[in-house]
Amino acid sequence: MRALMLKLEPIIWGLFGGGMFVGALLLPAFVLVLGVLAPLGVVTLDTGALFALARHPLGRLVCLVTIALPLWAGAHQLRHIFLDFGGLRYDGFLGALLYLLALLGSALGIVAVWNL
Amino acid sequence: MAEQKKTLVVTRFDPDRDQTPTTREYEIPVEADWKVLDALNYIKAQVDPTLSHRWSCRMAVCGSCGMNVNGEPKLTCKQPLSAYGERVEVAPLANFPVIRDLVVEMDGFMERLKQVKPWIIEAKEEAKREGTNRQSHAELMDFKQFSMCINCMLCYAACPVVANEPDYLGPAALALGHRYNQDTRDHGGVERNQILRDDGGVFSCSYANECSEVCPKGVDPAGAIQQAKLNNVLDWAKRFVVPRRKPRAPTAAAQSDEPGRG
Repeated sequence: MRALMLKLEPIIWGLFGGGMFVGALLLPAFVLVLGVLAPLGVVTLDTGALFALARHPLGRLVCLVTIALPLWAGAHQLRHIFLDFGGLRYDGFLGALLYLLALLGSALGIVAVWNL
Repeated sequence: MAEQKKTLVVTRFDPDRDQTPTTREYEIPVEADWKVLDALNYIKAQVDPTLSHRWSCRMAVCGSCGMNVNGEPKLTCKQPLSAYGERVEVAPLANFPVIRDLVVEMDGFMERLKQVKPWIIEAKEEAKREGTNRQSHAELMDFKQFSMCINCMLCYAACPVVANEPDYLGPAALALGHRYNQDTRDHGGVERNQILRDDGGVFSCSYANECSEVCPKGVDPAGAIQQAKLNNVLDWAKRFVVPRRKPRAPTAAAQSDEPGRG
């Protein structure tokens, strides 16, 4: 399993890099506006317009990227935390488990975005 | 002015006699402008001639005198003794086998450096074909800082991945590989990238950034490794766009580029 992960490292690291970017820039802005400012009434959002934007193909892509990429970033970072704490022996199992969870989350993300 | 004294707690290990390392304390008079290495040299000359430590240039160029000072990897000829309190702990660099006292085994490190082919591949062939290799200032700046490494091995002592993964090539070797990949005179990027992304290569790095933190020459090995990761991702993605070139088998001429062989 570790050999397979090694072969896929460029893809995984690419997803991780994208996830770090999204997680650092887009996600906090989304959480701030949709999760804090809108419920507090600080900003008023037109829900219909928001859904229309999200249902546009580009909107769906942005939603998917915002959901899926941070999951890969988290999985990759957790795997390396385990490695830094001496978990090399369990890397094949733990790495595969974490990436499978990210894959599952991404699949659920696709379903959610599809059903918007 | 009253004479100042400090106690150096030095790790001692004699492979012929000791099972595990021990420490020995030396209380010595020190001068205000001393570096940690000056104190060790004083102990060796005046107090205990059996102490073994490695040093040479005393000007942060040769990279010989790296040791763990109060738990942190430092170049002892550069590190002021005044930066520490009354007690200063000096130990050999972490993550290396110890030969004796403060002297560590460098063979594994040297072997790792060689693995990344740290020489310009096919430079002579290109010069024969094209004449003198020309390089712009901007092209030089792409890799110059990675050439400043003095192989002091502090980055290996600080790196958590080196501590845990025996096959990891390590910060200095990977940064050196990246340095040659960035050099426009070099033609070994395809074969070197294969080594850099293999087991123990750049993707093993967890970006703790400790290597860049401890580097006494201001080199940024962590940055080099991240750039090499990105290059490898782009290299991987390019496969789907442009037909893949097979990595060349090293030619006799390319081998002759290796320092000491031709």
